[in-house]
Amino acid sequence: MKSVRGLVCAGLALLCVTLRGQAPQIPTATPGQAPAVDLGGYWAPVLHEDLMERGAGSELADYGGFPLNEAGRLWALSYDPSRVTLRHHQCEAYLAPYQMRALGNFRIWEEREEHTQRLVAIHIWAQTTEGHRVIWMDRRPHPPAWAPHTFRGFSTGQFVGNALVVRTTHMKNGALRRGNGVPQSDQATLTEFFVRHGEHLTNTTVVADPVFLAEPIVRSNDFYRQPVDPGSWLYACDDGEQILDRPKDDVPHYAFGKQPYAREFAARYKLPLASSLLGGVTMYPELAARLRTVTDAEANALFAPARGRAPETSKGVDPEPRDGNIHIWPVRDNVYMLVGDGGNIVVQTGDQGAFVVDTGEGKLSEKVVAAIRSLTSRPIQFIANTNFRPEHTGGNAALGAAGQDPSLPGSFFLLQSPRGVTGFFGDPLTQATMLAHANVQVRMQAAGAPAAAVPADTYLEDRRRKFHNGDAIELFHQPKAVTDGDSLVYFRRADVIVAGDIFTTTQYPVIDVKNGGSVQGLILALNNILDKTVYRHQGEGGTYIVPAHGYVADEHEVLEYRDMVVIVRDRVTTLIDAGATLPQVKAARVTADYDTQFGANTGAWTTEMFVEAVYTSLKAAPAKR
Amino acid sequence: MKLGLTRAAVLLAILPAFAFNVLVHAQRGGRGGPPPTPRAAAPFDLSGQWVSLITEDWRHRQFTPSKGDYAPLPLSPAARKLADGWDPAKDEAAGEQCKAYGAAGLMRLPIRMRVAWQDDTTLKLETDAGTQTRMFYFGAPQGNGGDWQGLSAARWDAPQAPFAGRGGGSPSGGSLKVVTTRMKPGYLRKNGVPYGENAVLTEYFDRFDVAGGDALLVVTSEVVDPEHLATPYWTSQQFKRETGTAGWNPTPCAAR
Repeated sequence: MKSVRGLVCAGLALLCVTLRGQAPQIPTATPGQAPAVDLGGYWAPVLHEDLMERGAGSELADYGGFPLNEAGRLWALSYDPSRVTLRHHQCEAYLAPYQMRALGNFRIWEEREEHTQRLVAIHIWAQTTEGHRVIWMDRRPHPPAWAPHTFRGFSTGQFVGNALVVRTTHMKNGALRRGNGVPQSDQATLTEFFVRHGEHLTNTTVVADPVFLAEPIVRSNDFYRQPVDPGSWLYACDDGEQILDRPKDDVPHYAFGKQPYAREFAARYKLPLASSLLGGVTMYPELAARLRTVTDAEANALFAPARGRAPETSKGVDPEPRDGNIHIWPVRDNVYMLVGDGGNIVVQTGDQGAFVVDTGEGKLSEKVVAAIRSLTSRPIQFIANTNFRPEHTGGNAALGAAGQDPSLPGSFFLLQSPRGVTGFFGDPLTQATMLAHANVQVRMQAAGAPAAAVPADTYLEDRRRKFHNGDAIELFHQPKAVTDGDSLVYFRRADVIVAGDIFTTTQYPVIDVKNGGSVQGLILALNNILDKTVYRHQGEGGTYIVPAHGYVADEHEVLEYRDMVVIVRDRVTTLIDAGATLPQVKAARVTADYDTQFGANTGAWTTEMFVEAVYTSLKAAPAKR
Repeated sequence: MKLGLTRAAVLLAILPAFAFNVLVHAQRGGRGGPPPTPRAAAPFDLSGQWVSLITEDWRHRQFTPSKGDYAPLPLSPAARKLADGWDPAKDEAAGEQCKAYGAAGLMRLPIRMRVAWQDDTTLKLETDAGTQTRMFYFGAPQGNGGDWQGLSAARWDAPQAPFAGRGGGSPSGGSLKVVTTRMKPGYLRKNGVPYGENAVLTEYFDRFDVAGGDALLVVTSEVVDPEHLATPYWTSQQFKRETGTAGWNPTPCAAR
C-alpha cells in the first residue's frame, strides 16, 4: 500500500507541476508562506533622483510631477515652511510614502510565529524619524474607518510573482513631498511593490489620494544592500518652543495669492510660470504642448482659488458604519469608543460602574446599552455631556434609565435633591447621574428637553473633577467654543480626551453662534487640548483624543485641525478688514484647500454655514493680531 | 481483489496525468523537444503602448537643464569637463541631435513607447520622442552596435535564490533583464552629461498591476561607465500602460 500511496502522490504532484507551468500566470503566495524574495538585511538608499527633496528639501512652488488637484495646489501654496517651528510640528515623523525616500539606513527583517515558523510580518526600520513599519503577512483585515491613523499607516502584504505587494491605509495627514507643502491626506492609500535585483532593491510606491490628487502618483525608490550593520539607527527628537511669547493661535501660512516666493522657482530655472502648477499634466509628455497654450492670466490664476465655483465636498470615506449596529473600539485600558449612533460615545468601565461620555442621537440607544453591558456588568453610573446638542444628548434619557448611581441611596446629599421637588430632573435613585456644564442644563431646559434627559449635576467653574474606576477624570469648560457649555472630558490615567464637537476628523467644526459659540473660543479649546497632550514617539501616539465624529486621533490630528481653523479665521479676518461683506467672503472660497477633506454642501453643517459662523463671530469679536 | 481494484483506480488516476505531462512537456520543449521560446516563457506581458510618468527629477527630465546643472549625477572630473563644454548648436551642426536619445538616456525622457515581439526571440521597443528603436535580443545580438541604441542582450531574470533551505516559496515571476553595450557615446541628461562607448547599461523591467486595471512598468537601470561616472548610476523610471494609441507623437531628436 505504501507504494500505491507513493504512486498516487507522484501522479498528483506531476499533474500539479505540469499545470503550474502552463501559462505565464503570476502566482500568489499563500498567507504565511516563506517569501519568494528575501528582502531581509541592511539597505542604504540610492540618492540619484530627487536629491534636493531628499536632502536640503524641496524648492517652494516646485510641484511639477505631482498630480495635485486645486485643493492640493492651494494647500501647498498656503504652506509656510516655518510652520515646523511650532512645537507640536517639530517631531512629526514621515508618512510611509516619504519614509521610503528618506536618507539614512534601512533594516528589513521577518517576524515568524515561533512554533510553526509561518511568516507573520515583515518589519522595516528606517533610521530617519525612527520609522518602524510593520507589514502584516497573515492576511489580517485592515481596521475599520474609526481606528487611529499613524504616520506609517496599517500595512498588509502578499508575495505576487517576484514582488512583495503591500497595501497601506490609515495614514495621517502629512507631507507627500518633503519641505514645500505638497500634502497627503488621511484618506490616502498606498500600494507598493518591492522587487529585488541581486543586491539592489526597488520599491515602487503608488499613492492614491482623493482629497489632494487628481490621479495616483507613482515613484520608485532604490536601495543597495549593505553587507554589515551600519550601526546607526536612531533619530532622537524632542520639541521645544522656538519663538518665545508667540501667541498660540499663530500658525505660519500664506494668504491665497500672497506666497512671496511662489514665482522664484520658475524664474530661477527660466521655466514658464505655470510649469510646476498644472497638476497631472506635468507628469506626461503632453506638458510641453500644454505650456504653449497657457496664457499669463491663466498662470497667475493658479495661485488662488478659481472664482465662481461651488465649494468642493469631502472626498473622504464616511466613517459612520450606518449599518444599524453599534461598534466598539477599545481606545486604551478601560476606555472604549462606541460608534454608530450619531456622535461618538465613550465608555469607561470598572468596579464602580460605567462612566459614559455623550449618549449619541438616541436612535440606537437599546443597542448602545447592550454594547455597554457587553463591556461591564456594572450599571451606568455617570453620564457626562460635552455639550447640549442632540447628537450628544439624544440618548441621555434611555441610557440614564438603564443606569443607576449606587452612591446615592442612603446618601446625605440625596436629601438636598429629593425627587419630585423641582420636577426639572430625573429620579437620581433610579437612573444614572448626569454631569455637564451648567449651560448645557440651561440650553436643554430652554429647548424643552424631557426632565429625564437633562443633566442635574452641573458645574459653573472652569473645571470639574472626579476620581472614578481608578482614574482621575476631569471636565474642563471651554467657553464660547461650539456653544457656551462645552466640556473636554479627560481620563488622566488612561490618557484619553473626549473632545465632543470641538474636534472631528470629518467636517468643519460646528460653531453655534446663537448658543454662545465662536471661532476664537474654538481655537482656544483646540489649543487647550494640545496643552494636555503628550505624544509617545515622533509626534504621534500618546494621548488619544476621541472626536465627535470620525476616528480616534492623537495630537497630530488636533494640531492639523487647529491649524485649519486658524488659517480660515485669518483669511476671513483679512477680508473683513478690507471691508468684505459675508457674500464676498463666501465668494472668496476661503476654505478651498480644505473642502475636499471637510466640505459639505448639504446636510446639517455645510461649508457655507461654517464660513458664515466664522464671519459672524469675528464681526462680533474681532481677532487680536 | 481489493488490492487489484485499488491498483486499477490508481492507474486510472495517474495515467492521464502522465499523458498530459508528456503532451505539455513536448509543447514546451521538454526532453527531446525545443526549449520554450522567450516569448512563450515570458512571465508577464510587456507589449502595448506605455507612457512615461515623470514624477522624479521632474525639472531635469521635462526640461533641458542649464549647463552645469548636474546634481546628483556622480560625474567624474573628466565627464564634468566635457559637460561644461556642452554646446547644442555644435551637436545640431554635427547632426548629433540624438545624443540624449541613446539607450542610457532615452528611457528618462518624456516619451511614449511601443513594445512588441518582433519574433519569438526579439522584443522591439519604439519611442515617439526621437523616433528611436531598441531591439532586445534573447539570443545572440544581431549587428555590431556602435549606434545610439547599442547592442542589447535580454533574458528573463528569475529572483535569485538566497532562500535555499528556508522551505516553501519557490521563486516565481521574474524581471526582464537587458544588458546594453557598444553604444555610441551620448548624454545621460540633455544638458551634455556624457556617457562613453564603454558604458554598460543594465536594466530590469518589472510590470505591476494596480487597482482599477492600470498596469505599471518600472525600469530600474544601472549605468556603469568608469570613465565618466565615479560610481554606478542607478535610477528607476515608471511607465503607465495605455489602452489605445492616442498620444503617440513621433518627433525627431532635439538637442535643446
